[in-house]
Amino acid sequence: MRQTIFALVKKEFLQVFRDFTMLRLIILVPIIQLIIFGYTVNIDVKYIYTNFYDFDHSAESREYLKAFSPGDYFIPRNYDIPLLESDRGFKENTYNTVMVIPDDFSEKIINREPVDVGLVVDGSNANSASIAIGYANIITMQYNRMKLNLPEPLSVRQVMLYNPEAESVYFMVPGIVVVLLTMITVMLTSMAIVREREIGTLEQLMVTPMSVPALILGKTIPFALIGFFEMSLALFIGVTWFNIPFAGSWLLLYVLAFFFLLTTLGVGMFISTITSTQQQAMFFAWFFMVFSMLTSGFFTPIANMPESVQYLTYLNPLRYFMVIVRGIMMKGAGIDTLYPQILALFTFGVVVFGFSWMRFSKRVN
Amino acid sequence: MRKIRQIARKEFRHILRDPRSLIIAILMPVMMTFLYGYAINLDIKNIKLAIKDFDNTSVSRELAGKFYNSGYFIRAEAEPDISDPEEIFRRGEAVAVLVIRNGFGKTIDALKYNPQMALNSDSPFQVGLFLDGADANTAAAAASYSSIIVTEFMKRALPPDFEFPGVRIASQVLYNPDLKSSHFFVPGLIAIILMMISALLTSITIAREKETGTMEQLLTSPVTPRQIIIGKVIPYVFVALLDGVLVLAFGVFHFGVPFSGSVAALFLFGVIYIVAALSIGILISTLVSTQQLAMMGALLATVLPSVMLSGFIFDLKNTPVVLQALSHIVPARYFIAIIRGIMLKGADIGTLWLDAGALLCMSLILLGLAAKRFKMRIG
Repeated sequence: MRQTIFALVKKEFLQVFRDFTMLRLIILVPIIQLIIFGYTVNIDVKYIYTNFYDFDHSAESREYLKAFSPGDYFIPRNYDIPLLESDRGFKENTYNTVMVIPDDFSEKIINREPVDVGLVVDGSNANSASIAIGYANIITMQYNRMKLNLPEPLSVRQVMLYNPEAESVYFMVPGIVVVLLTMITVMLTSMAIVREREIGTLEQLMVTPMSVPALILGKTIPFALIGFFEMSLALFIGVTWFNIPFAGSWLLLYVLAFFFLLTTLGVGMFISTITSTQQQAMFFAWFFMVFSMLTSGFFTPIANMPESVQYLTYLNPLRYFMVIVRGIMMKGAGIDTLYPQILALFTFGVVVFGFSWMRFSKRVN
Repeated sequence: MRKIRQIARKEFRHILRDPRSLIIAILMPVMMTFLYGYAINLDIKNIKLAIKDFDNTSVSRELAGKFYNSGYFIRAEAEPDISDPEEIFRRGEAVAVLVIRNGFGKTIDALKYNPQMALNSDSPFQVGLFLDGADANTAAAAASYSSIIVTEFMKRALPPDFEFPGVRIASQVLYNPDLKSSHFFVPGLIAIILMMISALLTSITIAREKETGTMEQLLTSPVTPRQIIIGKVIPYVFVALLDGVLVLAFGVFHFGVPFSGSVAALFLFGVIYIVAALSIGILISTLVSTQQLAMMGALLATVLPSVMLSGFIFDLKNTPVVLQALSHIVPARYFIAIIRGIMLKGADIGTLWLDAGALLCMSLILLGLAAKRFKMRIG
């Protein structure tokens, strides 16, 4: 039995790596994904191109503008466009914000009166727009406090734990680990099995003196190993290149990853039993991926979703593993705090893998 | 021409014979729109907040009420342990802990009766906020919401005739005044879906003929390679267009995404974009021999860049210069700028010429490359 499995695993590896392109892709996919995700998935907005209109031309207005533009946030893009036609820049995407300082700005400041500064924002990117407004308010608050000597009598003092710089990478890389594991295992497993069926070699395998469990293990072990390899590669890049802290236990992470793989390999196997061509298998795997990724809390917190979708996420194994990976890596969480997730993951793994195993055996016999 | 039609008909049969794939090809875009429109909401709500109120006056309870009634925060079940605020974060029972020190009520009362004096005080009263930075976005949102809530609360406490001096921001949002995420996602989603269906499916369908050995059969039949390719991609153009229209209709009628520009212009650019996507698909198929490889290749070459390097979700301005430069060869970048311009801002060719020109150039180059490569491989 052990020998058969070993032979099958070897065959599968030979098949995967016979094509040099595949080997390159398996190494390249996680690296490229990590680098692209690590650098682009940045919900914090750093550059807001702004066209400033200063109708006051006073020392005060210049000082206010100086407070606004030195940092990373509001980058001046001063085009000589009349204010009334300033939406042209929005349409051409040359700037996304317009700031208008009224001509009585300095007068009102000197008289200690409130003065309104106009801020017109391109709402087509809803996220950037609301962040731009938020920044403008904060900068103005600071300007009032520091330059006009008008401190707010009440303020909030914030302490950010685990990630004081609010770096999105810290939060994305653990997520990418989960996504990579899912993608590689579900897609490759389902396609590899269906491929045998499509080309007709599954019958050949069946007439060999191989038991069904050996076939299943032989077909899933290689992809589990590739999955572990991808995960390690992603973690390695995350820790060395992006300097992500790893606060918890590596052993716990790998053990739990194994339970998670039971689920994804099971899903891959299940897909292979309900499809007959690789295209179909890819489609089903894709469908599962998109749905499970979007509802896992990878991009946006589950608490943001409508209630009905929130209930749906309990059926998503990625949801639990996402919490586990982020908890172990960033917060150093252990079994004592993660046990509800671990229990759910374990149940999913056993049920999904067991069910797929049964279905696959029935289908093959 | 007739031969092309024959091949296209054959490919259509392939698609129709496999209703499961077709259903997914049609269902997935709709489901993605639904999820992006509803579930993927970048404005963060329902942040689990625990409040430790040491002041315990009617004023501090009022502030707590303001937090929970703002719509942004919900009450955490657990009571925070102030000696170890991390405990509640590790358990995942809250992502923020607000600490109201003793003397909060008194400070607010002082503001009510003597605002001038409170304004000139040197040491402002501070409310403490611990944030779980593991989810950086939620934490940042929680920080800015709580600042706003506390500032508003303070301003409410001032006498009604007292106007707070200093500069204020009067903001106005164009094109999407309610800052709805769906207005932002739906146009981009059309670009992603067109790319996915056109490039991914085309490359797979050609790789499939190679893998199952039917490519040789096709090539020995009296049709030219070019006719085979054109015939094979036509059905997918229809599927892609159908998906595009479906998502557009769903976005406009269900989510109320405005469509302020010209439908004809969008259609024209859509076709140019599809040509680019199909050319990429054909290019991939000439490079690979199996469907698995085609899928992985298409994933790397089309889906990932189209989602990540196009400005679909994440603003390109915030990425490093190298990735920004790289994004110039991603067709979706131009199409997303065009479709958002047309749908949301009512832009026309006069303002979009730069993106439109770039898209057209890319399509022509890709088409030329694909044709050349294909001839080399087959001939």
